[in-house]
Amino acid sequence: MTEETHNAPVEPNAVEEPLDLVRLSLDERIYVKLRGDRELRGKLHAYDGHLNMVLGEVEETITVVEINEETYEEVIRTVKRTSEMLFVRGDGVILVSPPVRTN
Amino acid sequence: MSSATNQTNQLLPLELIDKCIGSKIWVIMKSEKEFTGTLLGFDDYVNMVLEDVTEYENTPEGRKTTHLDQILLNGNNITMLIPGGEGPD
Amino acid sequence: MQQSPQQERSPTEFLSNVIGRPVVVKLNSGVDYRGILSCLDGYMNIALEQTEEWVNGQLKNRYGDAFIRGNNVLYISADKTRKREPLNIQ
Repeated sequence: MTEETHNAPVEPNAVEEPLDLVRLSLDERIYVKLRGDRELRGKLHAYDGHLNMVLGEVEETITVVEINEETYEEVIRTVKRTSEMLFVRGDGVILVSPPVRTN
Repeated sequence: MSSATNQTNQLLPLELIDKCIGSKIWVIMKSEKEFTGTLLGFDDYVNMVLEDVTEYENTPEGRKTTHLDQILLNGNNITMLIPGGEGPD
Repeated sequence: MQQSPQQERSPTEFLSNVIGRPVVVKLNSGVDYRGILSCLDGYMNIALEQTEEWVNGQLKNRYGDAFIRGNNVLYISADKTRKREPLNIQ
Protein backbone atom coordinates (compact mmCIF):
# COMPACT_ATOMS: atom_id res chain seq x y z
CA MET A 1 0.00 0.00 0.00
CA THR A 2 2.90 2.34 0.65
CA GLU A 3 4.74 1.51 -2.58
CA GLU A 4 4.19 4.92 -4.13
CA THR A 5 5.78 6.71 -1.23
CA HIS A 6 8.97 4.73 -1.72
CA ASN A 7 9.58 4.68 -5.42
CA ALA A 8 7.58 7.49 -6.92
CA PRO A 9 8.16 10.86 -5.32
CA VAL A 10 6.76 12.48 -8.46
CA GLU A 11 4.41 14.92 -6.87
CA PRO A 12 4.18 14.82 -3.09
CA ASN A 13 0.83 16.63 -3.15
CA ALA A 14 -0.81 14.25 -5.61
CA VAL A 15 -3.70 12.14 -4.42
CA GLU A 16 -3.04 8.67 -5.82
CA GLU A 17 -4.85 6.71 -3.18
CA PRO A 18 -7.60 7.82 -0.81
CA LEU A 19 -5.34 7.83 2.26
CA ASP A 20 -3.19 10.49 0.57
CA LEU A 21 -6.01 12.92 1.31
CA VAL A 22 -5.58 12.17 4.98
CA ARG A 23 -1.79 12.28 4.76
CA LEU A 24 -1.93 15.74 3.22
CA SER A 25 -4.09 16.89 6.13
CA LEU A 26 -1.52 16.16 8.84
CA ASP A 27 -1.18 19.13 11.19
CA GLU A 28 -4.28 20.70 9.64
CA ARG A 29 -7.74 21.07 11.10
CA ILE A 30 -10.02 18.43 9.66
CA TYR A 31 -13.66 17.44 9.86
CA VAL A 32 -14.50 13.85 10.79
CA LYS A 33 -17.95 12.30 10.54
CA LEU A 34 -18.46 9.32 12.82
CA ARG A 35 -21.13 6.70 13.29
CA GLY A 36 -23.82 7.58 15.79
CA ASP A 37 -24.31 11.16 14.54
CA ARG A 38 -21.03 12.41 15.92
CA GLU A 39 -18.78 14.96 14.29
CA LEU A 40 -15.31 16.10 15.21
CA ARG A 41 -13.29 19.12 14.21
CA GLY A 42 -9.68 19.15 15.23
CA LYS A 43 -6.06 19.18 14.27
CA LEU A 44 -4.83 15.90 12.84
CA HIS A 45 -1.71 14.83 14.70
CA ALA A 46 -1.47 11.21 13.54
CA TYR A 47 -3.37 8.46 11.74
CA ASP A 48 -2.88 4.92 10.48
CA GLY A 49 -4.30 2.68 7.78
CA HIS A 50 -7.38 1.83 9.87
CA LEU A 51 -8.13 5.54 10.13
CA ASN A 52 -7.34 5.46 13.82
CA MET A 53 -6.51 9.09 14.49
CA VAL A 54 -5.11 11.38 17.13
CA LEU A 55 -6.75 14.80 17.07
CA GLY A 56 -5.88 17.88 19.07
CA GLU A 57 -7.97 20.88 20.15
CA VAL A 58 -11.09 18.96 19.30
CA GLU A 59 -14.66 20.13 19.16
CA GLU A 60 -17.13 17.25 19.21
CA THR A 61 -20.72 17.72 18.10
CA ILE A 62 -23.30 15.07 18.93
CA THR A 63 -26.69 15.32 17.24
CA VAL A 64 -29.69 13.83 19.00
CA VAL A 65 -33.12 13.62 17.39
CA GLU A 66 -35.92 13.45 19.90
CA ILE A 67 -39.59 13.07 19.11
CA ASN A 68 -41.97 15.11 21.20
CA GLU A 69 -44.43 12.61 22.72
CA GLU A 70 -47.44 14.89 22.24
CA THR A 71 -46.83 16.79 19.02
CA TYR A 72 -44.71 14.08 17.35
CA GLU A 73 -42.44 16.90 16.25
CA GLU A 74 -38.81 16.10 15.73
CA VAL A 75 -36.61 18.04 18.07
CA ILE A 76 -33.00 18.14 16.93
CA ARG A 77 -30.59 18.83 19.74
CA THR A 78 -26.83 19.15 19.46
CA VAL A 79 -24.39 18.70 22.27
CA LYS A 80 -20.91 20.13 21.98
CA ARG A 81 -17.83 19.46 23.99
CA THR A 82 -14.14 20.09 23.61
CA SER A 83 -11.06 18.09 24.42
CA GLU A 84 -7.41 18.90 24.26
CA MET A 85 -6.48 15.63 22.65
CA LEU A 86 -8.29 12.44 21.73
CA PHE A 87 -7.88 9.12 19.98
CA VAL A 88 -10.47 8.09 17.40
CA ARG A 89 -10.91 4.42 16.62
CA GLY A 90 -10.94 3.99 12.85
CA ASP A 91 -13.90 1.66 12.61
CA GLY A 92 -16.29 4.42 13.62
CA VAL A 93 -15.15 6.76 10.87
CA ILE A 94 -17.51 7.48 7.97
CA LEU A 95 -15.87 10.49 6.32
CA VAL A 96 -12.83 12.67 6.67
CA SER A 97 -12.71 16.06 5.02
CA PRO A 98 -9.49 18.02 4.93
CA PRO A 99 -9.40 21.80 4.90
CA VAL A 100 -9.88 23.34 1.47
CA ARG A 101 -6.81 22.56 -0.57
CA THR A 102 -5.14 25.08 -2.81
CA ASN A 103 -3.19 22.77 -5.09
CA MET B 1 -10.88 -20.81 -3.37
CA SER B 2 -12.65 -23.88 -2.06
CA SER B 3 -10.80 -26.84 -0.60
CA ALA B 4 -13.20 -29.31 -2.21
CA THR B 5 -12.06 -30.18 -5.70
CA ASN B 6 -14.67 -29.64 -8.30
CA GLN B 7 -15.51 -33.16 -9.39
CA THR B 8 -18.01 -34.24 -11.98
CA ASN B 9 -21.19 -32.21 -12.02
CA GLN B 10 -20.87 -30.19 -8.83
CA LEU B 11 -21.32 -26.48 -9.48
CA LEU B 12 -19.31 -24.21 -7.21
CA PRO B 13 -21.13 -21.14 -5.88
CA LEU B 14 -18.98 -18.67 -7.80
CA GLU B 15 -19.39 -20.73 -10.98
CA LEU B 16 -23.13 -20.25 -10.70
CA ILE B 17 -22.62 -16.49 -10.48
CA ASP B 18 -20.22 -16.63 -13.42
CA LYS B 19 -22.97 -18.27 -15.48
CA CYS B 20 -25.16 -15.27 -14.72
CA ILE B 21 -22.83 -12.77 -16.40
CA GLY B 22 -24.78 -10.99 -19.11
CA SER B 23 -28.11 -11.92 -17.51
CA LYS B 24 -30.47 -10.39 -15.03
CA ILE B 25 -29.82 -11.14 -11.39
CA TRP B 26 -31.62 -10.38 -8.14
CA VAL B 27 -29.50 -9.41 -5.14
CA ILE B 28 -30.82 -9.45 -1.58
CA MET B 29 -28.84 -7.54 1.02
CA LYS B 30 -28.52 -8.14 4.77
CA SER B 31 -30.53 -4.98 5.35
CA GLU B 32 -33.95 -4.16 3.90
CA LYS B 33 -32.53 -3.60 0.45
CA GLU B 34 -32.66 -5.47 -2.83
CA PHE B 35 -31.29 -4.88 -6.31
CA THR B 36 -32.08 -6.25 -9.74
CA GLY B 37 -29.97 -5.64 -12.83
CA THR B 38 -27.79 -7.16 -15.51
CA LEU B 39 -24.61 -8.67 -14.10
CA LEU B 40 -21.55 -7.44 -15.99
CA GLY B 41 -18.88 -8.90 -13.72
CA PHE B 42 -17.78 -9.72 -10.19
CA ASP B 43 -14.66 -10.49 -8.17
CA ASP B 44 -13.67 -12.94 -5.40
CA TYR B 45 -15.42 -10.84 -2.75
CA VAL B 46 -18.57 -10.94 -4.91
CA ASN B 47 -18.37 -7.21 -5.44
CA MET B 48 -20.53 -6.91 -8.55
CA VAL B 49 -20.86 -4.58 -11.52
CA LEU B 50 -24.55 -4.27 -12.41
CA GLU B 51 -26.23 -2.41 -15.24
CA ASP B 52 -29.78 -1.02 -15.60
CA VAL B 53 -30.29 -1.45 -11.92
CA THR B 54 -33.42 -1.11 -9.84
CA GLU B 55 -32.77 -0.52 -6.18
CA TYR B 56 -35.60 -1.53 -3.84
CA GLU B 57 -35.67 -0.23 -0.32
CA ASN B 58 -38.23 -1.58 2.09
CA THR B 59 -39.25 1.00 4.66
CA PRO B 60 -42.13 1.12 7.13
CA GLU B 61 -43.80 3.58 4.72
CA GLY B 62 -43.58 1.14 1.82
CA ARG B 63 -41.16 0.23 -0.89
CA LYS B 64 -39.01 2.86 -2.58
CA THR B 65 -37.41 2.09 -5.94
CA THR B 66 -34.58 3.91 -7.69
CA HIS B 67 -33.13 3.38 -11.15
CA LEU B 68 -29.36 3.42 -11.61
CA ASP B 69 -27.40 3.06 -14.86
CA GLN B 70 -24.36 1.23 -13.64
CA ILE B 71 -23.09 0.42 -10.17
CA LEU B 72 -20.30 -1.33 -8.35
CA LEU B 73 -22.09 -3.06 -5.50
CA ASN B 74 -20.02 -3.81 -2.40
CA GLY B 75 -20.13 -7.57 -1.79
CA ASN B 76 -19.83 -7.14 1.95
CA ASN B 77 -23.52 -6.90 2.74
CA ILE B 78 -25.00 -9.37 0.27
CA THR B 79 -27.14 -12.20 1.64
CA MET B 80 -28.42 -13.91 -1.47
CA LEU B 81 -28.20 -13.90 -5.25
CA ILE B 82 -31.02 -15.22 -7.40
CA PRO B 83 -30.39 -15.77 -11.13
CA GLY B 84 -33.19 -14.46 -13.35
CA GLY B 85 -33.78 -11.30 -11.40
CA GLU B 86 -37.55 -10.93 -11.43
CA GLY B 87 -37.19 -8.89 -8.24
CA PRO B 88 -39.50 -8.52 -5.27
CA ASP B 89 -42.61 -7.51 -7.27
CA MET C 1 -28.54 -17.05 -21.14
CA GLN C 2 -27.32 -14.66 -23.78
CA GLN C 3 -23.70 -13.85 -23.07
CA SER C 4 -21.91 -10.93 -24.65
CA PRO C 5 -18.27 -11.14 -23.61
CA GLN C 6 -17.30 -7.70 -24.91
CA GLN C 7 -19.86 -6.24 -22.53
CA GLU C 8 -18.40 -8.11 -19.55
CA ARG C 9 -16.88 -5.80 -16.98
CA SER C 10 -15.01 -6.69 -13.83
CA PRO C 11 -15.11 -4.40 -10.77
CA THR C 12 -11.57 -3.25 -11.59
CA GLU C 13 -12.54 -2.29 -15.14
CA PHE C 14 -15.60 -0.48 -13.89
CA LEU C 15 -13.47 1.53 -11.49
CA SER C 16 -10.82 2.48 -14.02
CA ASN C 17 -13.67 3.73 -16.17
CA VAL C 18 -15.29 5.91 -13.54
CA ILE C 19 -12.18 7.56 -12.06
CA GLY C 20 -12.34 11.26 -12.83
CA ARG C 21 -16.09 11.09 -13.45
CA PRO C 22 -19.09 12.19 -11.41
CA VAL C 23 -20.37 9.35 -9.23
CA VAL C 24 -22.86 8.70 -6.49
CA VAL C 25 -21.51 6.79 -3.52
CA LYS C 26 -24.29 5.35 -1.39
CA LEU C 27 -23.52 4.29 2.15
CA ASN C 28 -25.25 1.55 4.10
CA SER C 29 -26.84 4.26 6.24
CA GLY C 30 -28.68 5.55 3.14
CA VAL C 31 -26.65 8.76 2.84
CA ASP C 32 -25.52 9.63 -0.70
CA TYR C 33 -22.28 11.38 -1.60
CA ARG C 34 -22.13 12.96 -5.05
CA GLY C 35 -18.81 14.11 -6.42
CA ILE C 36 -15.93 13.47 -8.75
CA LEU C 37 -14.18 10.20 -8.01
CA SER C 38 -10.47 10.96 -7.45
CA CYS C 39 -9.34 7.49 -6.50
CA LEU C 40 -10.01 4.46 -4.36
CA ASP C 41 -8.19 1.48 -2.88
CA GLY C 42 -8.75 -2.20 -2.22
CA TYR C 43 -10.83 -1.51 0.90
CA MET C 44 -13.16 0.64 -1.20
CA ASN C 45 -11.91 3.68 0.69
CA ILE C 46 -12.81 6.54 -1.61
CA ALA C 47 -11.52 10.04 -2.29
CA LEU C 48 -14.09 12.41 -3.79
CA GLU C 49 -13.79 16.00 -5.01
CA GLN C 50 -16.54 18.62 -5.03
CA THR C 51 -18.53 16.42 -2.71
CA GLU C 52 -22.17 16.93 -1.84
CA GLU C 53 -23.83 15.06 1.03
CA TRP C 54 -27.47 14.15 0.37
CA VAL C 55 -29.74 12.82 3.11
CA ASN C 56 -33.34 11.88 2.24
CA GLY C 57 -33.12 13.83 -1.01
CA GLN C 58 -31.85 16.98 0.71
CA LEU C 59 -28.44 18.57 0.27
CA LYS C 60 -26.93 18.66 3.76
CA ASN C 61 -23.27 19.53 3.27
CA ARG C 62 -20.51 20.25 0.80
CA TYR C 63 -16.89 19.24 1.12
CA GLY C 64 -14.02 20.23 -1.19
CA ASP C 65 -12.38 16.87 -0.72
CA ALA C 66 -13.72 13.93 1.15
CA PHE C 67 -12.27 10.62 2.25
CA ILE C 68 -14.93 7.95 2.74
CA ARG C 69 -14.03 4.84 4.71
CA GLY C 70 -14.74 1.79 2.55
CA ASN C 71 -16.63 -0.29 5.10
CA ASN C 72 -19.54 2.14 4.93
CA VAL C 73 -19.94 1.90 1.15
CA LEU C 74 -23.00 0.14 -0.29
CA TYR C 75 -22.36 1.00 -3.93
CA ILE C 76 -20.66 3.36 -6.35
CA SER C 77 -22.91 4.42 -9.18
CA ALA C 78 -21.97 5.98 -12.51
CA ASP C 79 -24.25 7.55 -15.03
CA LYS C 80 -23.46 5.69 -18.25
CA THR C 81 -25.02 8.38 -20.43
CA ARG C 82 -22.58 10.95 -19.13
CA LYS C 83 -19.40 11.29 -21.11
CA ARG C 84 -16.08 11.10 -19.33
CA GLU C 85 -15.21 14.58 -18.16
CA PRO C 86 -11.69 15.92 -18.65
CA LEU C 87 -9.54 15.42 -15.59
CA ASN C 88 -8.73 18.54 -13.65
CA ILE C 89 -6.04 20.47 -15.41
CA GLN C 90 -3.99 22.72 -13.21
